[in-house]
Amino acid sequence: MTEIIHHIPLWYLPLLVILPITALWAGVAGLRRTARRKTAADRDPDWSVPPLADEKQGGSFLHKWDVRCKIVTILIFSFVVASLDHLAAALAAVVISLSVAVMIRVPAARLMLRLLALAGFLGMLLVVMPFTVPPHSGDTLVVFGGVEWLTLNFRGLLLAATIAARAVAIAMLMEPLLSTAPLPVTLHGLCRLGVPEMAAQMVLLSNRYVHVFSHEARRMSAGMQVRGFRKRTDTATLRTVANFLGMLFVRSFERTERVFDAMRARGYQGRFPEPVKLRLCASDLFICLAWLTVAAALVVWDRIIL
Amino acid sequence: MHETHEIREPRPASGPLLFKVCGLSYQYPDGTAALSGVSAEIRPGERVALAGQNGSGKTTLIKLLSGLLAPAGGQVRYRDKPLAGENLDRGRLEIGVLFQDPDDQLFMHTIIEDAAFGPRQQGLPQQEAQLAAGRALDRVGLLHLAYKAPHNLSFGQKKRAALAGLLAMEPQVLLLDEPTANLDPGQEQVFLDLLKDFSGTLICISHDLIFLYELCQRAIVLNHGMVQHDYTMRELVSQRRTLREHGLDFSFRLVVAPESPDAGPDDASCRLRPVSAKDPGRALVQLQNYCYRYPDGTPALQGIDLLIRKGERISIVGENGAGKSTLLSCLTGLCQGRGEYLYDGKTVTGRTRKRIWRKIGMVFQDCADQLFCSTVREELSFGLRQLGCTRAETAARVSEALSMVHMEGYEDRVPLHLSGGERRRLALACVLVMEPELLILDEPTAGLDPRGEQLLLDILQKLHTTLLLVSHDIFFIQQLTRRTLVMHQGRIMEDLPMQAFMEDQRLGDLNGLSCMYRLRCTRDIRALQHEHEHTHEHQHLHTHPHRHGDMVHEHLHEHTHTHAHRFVHTHPGRDQSHDHAPRRYHEHDHAGHEAQPHEHMHKQTDKTA
Repeated sequence: MTEIIHHIPLWYLPLLVILPITALWAGVAGLRRTARRKTAADRDPDWSVPPLADEKQGGSFLHKWDVRCKIVTILIFSFVVASLDHLAAALAAVVISLSVAVMIRVPAARLMLRLLALAGFLGMLLVVMPFTVPPHSGDTLVVFGGVEWLTLNFRGLLLAATIAARAVAIAMLMEPLLSTAPLPVTLHGLCRLGVPEMAAQMVLLSNRYVHVFSHEARRMSAGMQVRGFRKRTDTATLRTVANFLGMLFVRSFERTERVFDAMRARGYQGRFPEPVKLRLCASDLFICLAWLTVAAALVVWDRIIL
Repeated sequence: MHETHEIREPRPASGPLLFKVCGLSYQYPDGTAALSGVSAEIRPGERVALAGQNGSGKTTLIKLLSGLLAPAGGQVRYRDKPLAGENLDRGRLEIGVLFQDPDDQLFMHTIIEDAAFGPRQQGLPQQEAQLAAGRALDRVGLLHLAYKAPHNLSFGQKKRAALAGLLAMEPQVLLLDEPTANLDPGQEQVFLDLLKDFSGTLICISHDLIFLYELCQRAIVLNHGMVQHDYTMRELVSQRRTLREHGLDFSFRLVVAPESPDAGPDDASCRLRPVSAKDPGRALVQLQNYCYRYPDGTPALQGIDLLIRKGERISIVGENGAGKSTLLSCLTGLCQGRGEYLYDGKTVTGRTRKRIWRKIGMVFQDCADQLFCSTVREELSFGLRQLGCTRAETAARVSEALSMVHMEGYEDRVPLHLSGGERRRLALACVLVMEPELLILDEPTAGLDPRGEQLLLDILQKLHTTLLLVSHDIFFIQQLTRRTLVMHQGRIMEDLPMQAFMEDQRLGDLNGLSCMYRLRCTRDIRALQHEHEHTHEHQHLHTHPHRHGDMVHEHLHEHTHTHAHRFVHTHPGRDQSHDHAPRRYHEHDHAGHEAQPHEHMHKQTDKTA
């Protein structure tokens, strides 16, 4: 069986490529505008409420679920989603993830903001893959204006859409995974699952100090800007950037020592106190089993039925 | 000549020693001696100020007292046992150390977790630790922010949260390193109240002796890693000569403010004309209805209307988080808000905003933020390279700038290795070398010792440029500026001439700028430093050879006599009465005293000559 080739005029190309990009851009801009408008309505919004403390308000099954079961189940489900071959199954996974997000009442804006972070990468896949996937027999190809190298492969488009759907489904699961328990509790759960405690402590401290270091870097960058520094393609810029990074490293190193001193001064002897006592009960295992059953059904549908 | 004698104020009641430090020494890894031969004893309940210039070894001593560093020589004893092993583990749970930068100390995810960290290490169950943390946060007024992440707090809040982390452990000892650096007066007062309420032993490092004056009873002065003096606090602040010797003389801050609105620097050439409606200078910066929101939408500046004329010297005051630094960022083009921004009569657009650095120079609050080169020369040349100056011009301007900040000969030094005061002056030189039309200073005195402050003040008073100063330091504001903008919650609430600002009592309540504590301490210290010549009859306990009939001998004895004393002080007014503070040190001659007969009881053990 050979490929099915459709010839269409070249001017369709901008229509087919630019229109989706424009639609995506418009969607992103619209979402941003909506978010800003909501902020403006509220004179002094409390943006600084740490997202990972939302579990204090949450009462869903995910908030109450044992963190170890939650991590294991969501990770297994994520691997299952990543292994899906068909768009329909991937879209079903998106629906499942979305349902979970709705169940735990994740604000739509926050979910969208997380997805927006992926939008650029996924948009690039959706544009590039249809034109770069090698044609196989049975593929439907669209040739624009007789230019052979400018061939759109519908299988590539389908593949890109499947990857995008899988990515969206997994990204949406990160919200239930991370925002339904404080990070220290999630990391404590990971430790109980065998992750070295030192690694968990490093993640916890990195999460705390990434803001401090980025703030320091921004202040240093501002210090350079007020003295006229602009990035150019010359060796002076390279030297300045190297100095900047070196100084940032030195300051980070010095801060690390000071933080360690502060920890020791308050009695730290290599272990952080347990944030919670973890207790496994039957309902935790039941939820785990139910979710994994859904994952298994998804695999069966993807691999056998579709 | 008779011996100098000393009558000390009563020390706190004697009791068992809490810390005993004997011949303590410490060396940095590069071999530099940080402390050598330090000995001191501290008893429970004492409140000790550790004073000394930048680099005198104060922080190192605190680290040694808390067991964070191991001494190279000598010993630290805590509760009569060496501070090591089990005693060190115990000590760490009883000794709270407050670091200078609160970000170093708040390492947990939320401030309640952070406050509960110490109690958990003390072995308290989770519930009790949370309760202790909640109580401590309540004491520092942060209970409503218990579940916030530290990076979402303002600097003052972080500082209080760090203190809460210590108070939750109910420590016996608090070691504080510059607890009030960079805090607005309102937050400083909160800190002062909390520390006054603390019933344990307090050892506090600060360059701000006015802050320490009422808080501490005892002062240990370190110099080049050695204990130079161990006084009562009143003795320390009263002795200008000692303070001057150790770079701690803050007496320049006690000078009465000039009453005339155009009174300014001593150098007449630097004196600026008073701003008046009849004689307005050229408008340099104009902001009209200027607003700025942080990327997350929080309003930072709202409806700012500001006019800065060429040659003006303006200060901006306001509590932490009032929007002062954001306003500066907008002026320097680092942030762009909405509204009209005119520089020298021209609208600052996106394009001109990128070139505004040629006209406006800014010294940041933390000068380390703008020092990133490997040598002082490179640091100073950086801006000039961006301006496109020739090598010859760069060299000339670099040496001129270094001379302005009294740093000649520092060209090849590494900025990172300079002291705090030197780095601050270098950061200023980096800006001055570019000859800005408008100089912006953000908290220039933060972390400086009094000598560094005085040097900086001298430099700034000689500058001719238009100045915009953001500071909590009322003294600097008073000395350097003629007009004050009061900011509160992102708005300019008042725009006042300096005199009116100083007299406006309402602003203290609005902006946490109340300086009643400082004024009270300043008044007391001025009385202590009061010195003039006068004669009165008094008793001396001293030793010198004297005669009893044919017998001449020398021993410690007390007698009454009259002679002149010299006291330095500021009189409140010629006709107003004032008290002379009791003096404890003075040197004097007793002319002919040896020949004077006098009677007193002798013991057999008296030394005879």
